[in-house]
Amino acid sequence: MAIGIKKVDSNITLTLWERMYAPEIIRGLYITMRHFTVNLWGLALEALGRRDKRKIMTVYYPEETLTPPPAYRGRPVLVRAENGLEKCVACGLCEVACPPKCIKITGGERENGDRYPLTYELDGGRCIFCGFCEEVCPKDAIVMSAEWRELCEYGRARMVYQKEALLYPQRNLQKRINLIRSRYFGVSRYRGKA
Amino acid sequence: METMLFYLFAGVAVILSLAMIAAKKPVTSAVCLVGVMFALAALFALLHAHLIAALQILVYAGAIMVLFMFVIMLLNLREKEGLAARHQIVAQAAGVALLGALLIPFMTLATLEKGPLSAIAPERFGTTAAVGELLYTEYLLPFEIASALLLAALVGAVALVKIRMR
Amino acid sequence: MISPELIETAAKIIFVFALTLGFFAPVLGWVERKQSAVMQDRIGANRAGVFGFTVIGLLHSLADAIKLVFKEDFTPRGAEKALHTLAPVMAVIPALIAFAVIPFGGQYTLWGHRVNLVVADLDVGLLFVFAISSISTYGVVIAGWASNNNWSLLGGLRASAQMFSYEVAMGLTVIALVMYYQSLSLVEIVAKQENFWHWGIVWHWPAFLLFFSCAIAENKRVPFDAPEAESELVAGYFTEYSGMKFVMFWAAEFIEMVTIAGMCVALFLGGHHIPFVTQAGLAEALGAFGPNGAQVAAMLIGVGVFVFKLILLLALQMAVRWTLPRFRYDQIMKLGWKMILPLSLAWISLTGAAILAGVMPRP
Repeated sequence: MAIGIKKVDSNITLTLWERMYAPEIIRGLYITMRHFTVNLWGLALEALGRRDKRKIMTVYYPEETLTPPPAYRGRPVLVRAENGLEKCVACGLCEVACPPKCIKITGGERENGDRYPLTYELDGGRCIFCGFCEEVCPKDAIVMSAEWRELCEYGRARMVYQKEALLYPQRNLQKRINLIRSRYFGVSRYRGKA
Repeated sequence: METMLFYLFAGVAVILSLAMIAAKKPVTSAVCLVGVMFALAALFALLHAHLIAALQILVYAGAIMVLFMFVIMLLNLREKEGLAARHQIVAQAAGVALLGALLIPFMTLATLEKGPLSAIAPERFGTTAAVGELLYTEYLLPFEIASALLLAALVGAVALVKIRMR
Repeated sequence: MISPELIETAAKIIFVFALTLGFFAPVLGWVERKQSAVMQDRIGANRAGVFGFTVIGLLHSLADAIKLVFKEDFTPRGAEKALHTLAPVMAVIPALIAFAVIPFGGQYTLWGHRVNLVVADLDVGLLFVFAISSISTYGVVIAGWASNNNWSLLGGLRASAQMFSYEVAMGLTVIALVMYYQSLSLVEIVAKQENFWHWGIVWHWPAFLLFFSCAIAENKRVPFDAPEAESELVAGYFTEYSGMKFVMFWAAEFIEMVTIAGMCVALFLGGHHIPFVTQAGLAEALGAFGPNGAQVAAMLIGVGVFVFKLILLLALQMAVRWTLPRFRYDQIMKLGWKMILPLSLAWISLTGAAILAGVMPRP
């Protein structure tokens, strides 16, 4: 859903009617009381088991959760490709791009000559969820997941994620990968033309 | 019953007014003065002057003392210091004695002139209508003079503030 | 020693305390949460429960009470201990006393004993309410001063100036009504509103608007909550209060809301009277219950109608509180001195002229 943008004129000059207080107060009261009665009716409907009819959007958090849209930047994760191996080639671009310097990589090499991260350490306590790592990654190997629940821990040391804790199957991340492809590659193409 | 209540409230008034003079901090003094106003209002109520009792609380305790507090809080007064503060008790006792000595002949003169008041209040005594009637007939001139005085004070206060602002 | 009068007075005092302190103070805390939530498309508090029964969030008031009773009673360092303790008491007592002169029913004869449903029928009842409400300033001012905290002091200063200003305006708004009903006694004023066309709100609706706004300002609730303005002054004058002392300030606010509603009902909305139903007509309609039964039924209906009107006005106060944003401090003072005060003076002159000209027939 697109965010609606409304231009607000901040240089307001009040009309005489507005400066009389009482009519405008009554108008405001009408608006709030309209919401009140509509929602009260909605609560009655809920008691009858028809929750879809009401305007209240509140989510009962621990029991119900929301799945954020693909543009949401949750915990950064490493992508595990369909063949079961990590896509990361340990180039170290994310390490450089990371503003709080929360990524530490040691690279290694497979028998067939492919590079891969021997260790990949991401300090969740320092991460600022900016998404730069994802933007610089040439292989779409690190992306921001939709994971946002229960990221807190009782100590800073426990927030440091090792490679195994970071790996995520690719099919769970496909939406986000599609989004960043359209977004970042679209932008770079535009820059190339200009 | 009424005599007992009179002595109770009179005692409270006397003790609180002494505490007001003796208190070191201005805010404590002000709180004690509020208590005195209350005790006085209760004494007025015992004398069947309900209107005066309500006005005593409304005007003195509710309005004037609030302004006192406001000013005291803004000025941030400290505890008293110096020679006068060290011999405070003596000075206060002398002041109270002097005032008492002045009041006794005054009160005697007043009672001599009018004779002792009767203990039984007349019908309608102290009601709003009775007080209003008296104010607007018999005591109209003093009432108007008092209101003119208040108006002059009000205009003076506004004028002073305006001069300072310029 | 135990006379019927003593029992009657005790019963009335217990009823008033049960209504204000026992019923409205906790329930208004719940209403404030729940009504605001529903007005803002939310659900509101609904988690506190006993064995899964949450009673639409009502148990939160109970949970709050338990929490606050067991909280540490804290006095900050450098605070004036005696005054710090005295302040909440001075805030809550006027709130409890002021309801004494508001009639919550009419006069009834039960088994030959005349019952007047008001705790104290003073002939200066109206002035008494104003006097007592002016006293409630002290609790706030002293709390602000004794806390040894800059925010509290600023809150106390704001409160003293604001409450003092609005007291003047509030007193003037009801003068027109006193001229109309020719009495300062609330019992008499209510008795004169038996006919619906003599209700205060019919002729004096401008005075009602002015009185209502002044009363909200006097109670320091939004939009006039500059003394406690949590976004500017933390919590204003009660920043340094916790536990039961905090409860006293909190309860004082809700009880004052009830008192304001009671004053409005008594002055403008005809007290216990039902529109277009006279007391005699009511007694006649209830004649089937026998002479005493009819009186008891009329009494219950009268109290019920009064409480219903009370709840209506409380809901209106809540709606205002959750609709309007806070005024800036200078705007509050400007509104009080430059708008409400001249308007109420104008209304007094207009009423006086109308009564003299015979346009406004007095009841």
